[in-house]
Amino acid sequence: MNLLIVEDDLQAAKAMMISLTEAGHLCSSAGDGAEGLATARDGHFDVLIVDRMMPKMDGVAMVETLRREGDGTPVLFLSALGEIDDRVAGLKAGADDYLVKPYALAELLARVEALARRRETGSVQTLLKVGDLEMDLIGRQVRRAGQEIDLQPREFQLLEFLMRHGGQSVTRTMLLEKVWEYHFDPQTNVIDVHISRLRGKIDKGFDRAMLQTVRGAGYRLEA
Amino acid sequence: MASINLNRAISLPVRLPRLFRTTPFRLMLFFLAVFAGAASAFLAYVYLVTAGQVYGSADARVARETADLKAIYAAHGFVGLNRAVIERSSGDRPMLYLLMKPSGQPVSGSIGASPVKSFSGDRTWASFTLTQPGENGAMVHRAARGEEIRLVGGERLFVGADIGEAESYVGKVLRAVWGAGALIVLLGVAGGVLVSRNVSRSIAGLSAVIDAARNGDMAVRARVRGAGDEYDELAAGLNDMLDRLDKSIGGLRHAGDAIAHDLRSPLTRLRARLEAGLVEVEAGRADPKAALHQAVDDADGVLRTFNAVLAIARLESATALPSTSAFDPAALAESVAELYEPVCEDKGIDFALEAASGLTLTAHRDFVAQALANLLDNAVKYTPPGGAIVLRARRRSSGDIEFSITDTGPGIPEEDRGRVEQRFVRLENSRSQPGVGLGLSLVAAVARAHKGRLEFDEGPGAVDGMGPGLRAALVFPGAV
Repeated sequence: MNLLIVEDDLQAAKAMMISLTEAGHLCSSAGDGAEGLATARDGHFDVLIVDRMMPKMDGVAMVETLRREGDGTPVLFLSALGEIDDRVAGLKAGADDYLVKPYALAELLARVEALARRRETGSVQTLLKVGDLEMDLIGRQVRRAGQEIDLQPREFQLLEFLMRHGGQSVTRTMLLEKVWEYHFDPQTNVIDVHISRLRGKIDKGFDRAMLQTVRGAGYRLEA
Repeated sequence: MASINLNRAISLPVRLPRLFRTTPFRLMLFFLAVFAGAASAFLAYVYLVTAGQVYGSADARVARETADLKAIYAAHGFVGLNRAVIERSSGDRPMLYLLMKPSGQPVSGSIGASPVKSFSGDRTWASFTLTQPGENGAMVHRAARGEEIRLVGGERLFVGADIGEAESYVGKVLRAVWGAGALIVLLGVAGGVLVSRNVSRSIAGLSAVIDAARNGDMAVRARVRGAGDEYDELAAGLNDMLDRLDKSIGGLRHAGDAIAHDLRSPLTRLRARLEAGLVEVEAGRADPKAALHQAVDDADGVLRTFNAVLAIARLESATALPSTSAFDPAALAESVAELYEPVCEDKGIDFALEAASGLTLTAHRDFVAQALANLLDNAVKYTPPGGAIVLRARRRSSGDIEFSITDTGPGIPEEDRGRVEQRFVRLENSRSQPGVGLGLSLVAAVARAHKGRLEFDEGPGAVDGMGPGLRAALVFPGAV
């Protein structure tokens, strides 16, 4: 993937580039909003990673300008401001996701890949398919290798999110935000237990486990 | 310094005493001026009317007498007139007469010479002072007024009226007018000074409080006298503002101290671990990957603590919660219950939800959800397998909305219940459990930010070697 990092903290930008390049992505970087805007206009990027507070032109202004110009490239905001109101303001400006500093690089990577995927599958899907697992979004049915699997509503949502990001790592925080819509981290391993229940339903009786635990990151649904 | 210079620059060149610079005194002066103006106009009117009346009646008497004498002159000629003048001059009438030849030489009358100095035309009015010997022989000056006319035959006749009595009456009125004016000004100034001093004293008390607070004394408070007037209101408002400010500053300072205190130890630990790791790796004894993993985990722990302390500090220093919304407490309880139900089942804990429907709560939904999650975290952590947890959402008979979580864990000893809300407080039997001791502090902060409270109670009691359990209630004041 071709990524643009717009961040005035050069150390943070460097760490991001190392980690994203390691994951196989192509990274460009810009040190402030004005430079970021110019670079974003020239290149063809899959995802823009934009710091919210920067000199010259801040992230909000930069993204608003891009959106006005009709550029729909997915944007991930990075910000030290983590209040709900700050998130809402960031998303209103046209960002697609919001990550509060300090963040784990694994979290950043997972979110960037999720954003890029969202763009690829922009059209409305009614059938999700990962390996031999199929999800009918209209009939609310899940089948693995033709065998029907009975899921609770929340398990269905959880699996839907995992299938939409099949083959990608998704973090616990992402699941909590996108599936449960909570913006805090519980002390107990509540997400792990939900995952293990889901795993019990979709992997039990099959010789290959699809729902994998990714060490230090979260989970991945493998085809 | 700058503000003092500015003050000097805009002040009057002549420094008036403080009292005379106060707003009430200036207002008083203004109203005094307005009132004095109105009073002057009124008194002037009284004077003019009175004086006009007095002079008018004297003039009328003079005119009547003149017409009378003219009629005598017309009927009986100069001789008849002369006789009448002599006769009247000797009478008791308070009138003055003088009959003169055309040359001005006196013929008869009660006065020796005409008071009219320059006679011209046919008639001339004059106001003059009559000097006569009084009863005790001394000379008495009395005001008089009269007119001199030329008769048909060229002779001149002066008729005047003694208006001494009337003049002294007008004089009294005039003196009364001046006296009243002086009294108004005097009373006005005195009243103004009194009111200004009173107001100044009340304001000075408030100013002193503000000055003290500005200089950093946040414990100072204005005196509320209990009169219920606007100064009391102002003082009470000022005190309330200082209370909030003090609490807010205190909260921030406490949060700062807490962050400094509690981050220091994990940061020291992290640093030590990194250093030790570096030494070990350099000596080829350890795996650099494991050391780095450990360091990342430690850093994550520091960040979690930092975020929790920061969230509490924000809640405590916020005067008004942003982003509150009206939502159904049952739906929230259901959603949180749904999140925690599997983990309870995994641990062999019986979990139940009892949510009353049809309620509405206006609050910061995310914070309430987090508070419930923290309470459930604790319940799950401390309830042994085989135990039970019940999450309830209901309306109390008082109208308050309550979320309660009852477990069958060891509970919190009564003497510790007040303490567990404090930051970083961990009870003896919880040392073995993970956590930094911020969970309940955050719940309490959420409750306080909504003007609600966090209550602890004993659970269902000791059963099967468990208990007595804990009932934690997050109570929000009902809609007013």
